[in-house]
Amino acid sequence: MSHVIQLSGVTRTYRRGGESLCVLDNLDLTVEAGEIVALMGPSGSGKTTILNLIGGLDRADSGTITVAGETISDLPERRLPAWRARHIGFVFQAFNLVPVLTARENVMLPLLLTPLSSKERRKQADFALEIVGLSDRADHRPRQLSGGQEQRVAIARAIASDPDIVLADEPTGDLDRQSATDVMDLLGRLNKELGKTFVVVTHDELVGSRAGRVLQLDKGVLVDSAQPA
Amino acid sequence: MSTPWFLVRKHLADHWVRSGLTMAALSLALFLFCFVTSIVTTLDRAISSAAANRLVVQSAVSLFVDLPLDYQPKINAVPGVEDTSKMQWFGGYHQDESQFFAQFAVDHERFFEMYAKDISITEGPNGETGEAARDAALAALAAERRGTIVGSGLMSQFDWQMGQTVPIEAKIFPKPDGSAWDFVIVGVYEPIKTNVDNRTLWFRWDYFLETITGAEGFGDLGTGVFMVNMEPGADAAAVTSSIDALFANGPQKTVTTTEQAFQATFVAMLGSLPEYMQSIGGAIVFAVLFSVVNTMLLAARQRTRSSGILKALGFSNAALARLFFAESLFLSVLGGGAGVAFAKLSEQSMRQTLGPNMPGYGVEWSTIALGIGIAVFVGIVAGLGPAWNASRLRPVDALRSEG
Repeated sequence: MSHVIQLSGVTRTYRRGGESLCVLDNLDLTVEAGEIVALMGPSGSGKTTILNLIGGLDRADSGTITVAGETISDLPERRLPAWRARHIGFVFQAFNLVPVLTARENVMLPLLLTPLSSKERRKQADFALEIVGLSDRADHRPRQLSGGQEQRVAIARAIASDPDIVLADEPTGDLDRQSATDVMDLLGRLNKELGKTFVVVTHDELVGSRAGRVLQLDKGVLVDSAQPA
Repeated sequence: MSTPWFLVRKHLADHWVRSGLTMAALSLALFLFCFVTSIVTTLDRAISSAAANRLVVQSAVSLFVDLPLDYQPKINAVPGVEDTSKMQWFGGYHQDESQFFAQFAVDHERFFEMYAKDISITEGPNGETGEAARDAALAALAAERRGTIVGSGLMSQFDWQMGQTVPIEAKIFPKPDGSAWDFVIVGVYEPIKTNVDNRTLWFRWDYFLETITGAEGFGDLGTGVFMVNMEPGADAAAVTSSIDALFANGPQKTVTTTEQAFQATFVAMLGSLPEYMQSIGGAIVFAVLFSVVNTMLLAARQRTRSSGILKALGFSNAALARLFFAESLFLSVLGGGAGVAFAKLSEQSMRQTLGPNMPGYGVEWSTIALGIGIAVFVGIVAGLGPAWNASRLRPVDALRSEG
C-alpha cells in the first residue's frame, strides 16, 4: 500500500483577538490508498482542521502536506482549486447542497470543472445518483429531500468527478440512526467497490466502528491509533 | 471553464421578485435616458438637417412683426436668389385646441418647388401615388382656392379623408364673418428631412390674403417671414447682407439668417433645458446603478455559503467572479436592453405625442448603442463588489456562514 495522504510536522495556529491558539502541534499522519480512516476526539481537538488542510481549504503554518502525490503545502494558492477539483470530494455535516439547484444539478457542479460536455455531465451525474440510490430524486430540490437523502446527494456530488479521496466532516452528525447507518453502508460500499479513500471526522461511535482505522486526537496531538474490533 | 448559465438563471429565478424589480427599474431608467437623449439629438438634427441653400428673412424687431409684402419682388431681384415664398403662421386649431398642430399660408405655386427636397407629396386627390401624386396634388391645389396639403400624421390623427373639407378655428386671424376657415384636402405629404414634421397643414397664401383683407385689424397685412432659396453656388453671406442692406432704411429692417441659424434660435429659446434633461437622464441611470449594485451585493451576501461550497468543490476565484459578473450583466443587459428596445419601439407613438413641438423625434442608433453600453457598464460595475468579495472569501469561513 502507498501513502495517499502524508502530513509531516504540521502545525496550525489560529489567532483569536490577541491570543494564539495552537490547534495542531507538529502532527504526523499517513493514510494509505483505499483506507477508511476515522478522526475522533473532543471538540476543538483539531479534527476538522486536519480535514481542511488535507483538502487544501486551509494552510498550515509549518510542516509538509502531501496528498495524491502532490505536496500541496508548497502549491500556490491559485493552483489549489484545480488540484482540489481533480483529487478531493467533500461531504459536510450540514450537507451543503446549493438550495436553488436540483439534486442532479448539485451533483453536476464539480463536473463543470471538467472538460465533459453537458450531455456527458448529465449522464455522469445520473450515474452518481444511481450509485447512491436516488435516481428517482434527480429533479428534486434539497428542501424536498429528507436529511438522509440530502447527504446521499452530497456523497454523489463528492464522487461524481471520480476523486481519489473523499473527506467527510461529521457526515452522520445531522442524521437519525437509520439514515446514519445507511450513509455509512454507502461509504463502505464506495470504498470497497470504487476503491475510494475516506477520511471521516466524527463523534459517532457507529462511524468509528465502520472505519478501517480510528485516530484519536486531543489538543492537536495524535494520542492513539487503533483498528476497531 | 465556461460560465454555468444554469446557475445564473437559477439564482435570478430564485429571487424573481427582486430580480424583476431591479430589471424593471433599469428598464425604466434606460427608457428615460434614451428618451431625453433623443430629445436632444432630435433638436440637434433639426438644426443640422435644415437646407444649406435656404435663408429666412424676418423683421429685425421680432418674429412677431410682419414684413411688408412688397419686399418679395425686391428680394427676388437680389443676385444669388433663386426663389422666395411667403410663410405665415396661422395658429388655428381643429375641433380641440389642445390637439395642436402647425398651419402655414404659403405661395403654393413656389413653396412646394422650393421644398421638394424637404417634403414629398405621396398622395394626390384621386389616390395618385409617386410622381403622379405630386403633379395631381399641385394641380388640384392650383384649382381649389381653399386647397390644402397636409401631413400624413394629421390624416391619421383626425381620420381625415382625401377631398374632405376640414374646418379650422382661427385664433389669430378670424374670418370677418366669424366662421371657421374651411380647407379642402387635395394632397398628403411625408417629410423627407427631420426638420419638418408630418403634422403640418400648408394652404394657399392668396386664399388667406383674400379672406382676411378687410377684416378688422388686418388692414395692412404682411407676412411673418420670407423663405429664400439661393441659386447653386451662391454665397450665403453675400446674399444675406445684400437682402438686409436693401431694407436698412425701412420701413421694416430685416434680419436674414440661414435656415440652420433660424432653427437654432428656436432651440436656443429652450436655454439650458436640453443640458438639464441630459443631466437628469444621467442622474436617473446613476441612481439605478446604486440599486443594481445593492441588489448584487445583497445577492452575494445571501450566497456566501453557496460560494464557499463552490470553492470547496474546486471553483477558482476567477470562476466565481465570472459567475457574479454573468449574473450582474444578465440582469443589467436584459433590463436595460428592454428599456432601450421600448424607447425605440415607442418612437412612433412618442413622435405623435410630441407632435410639432419635436418634429422628427427619433431614437438614433448611436443612442441605442449608448444605452446598451450603459447597461453593460452598470452590469460590470455592479458585479465588481460581489466578485471582489468572493475572491477574498476563505472557503472555511464561508462554509460556516449562515448565508
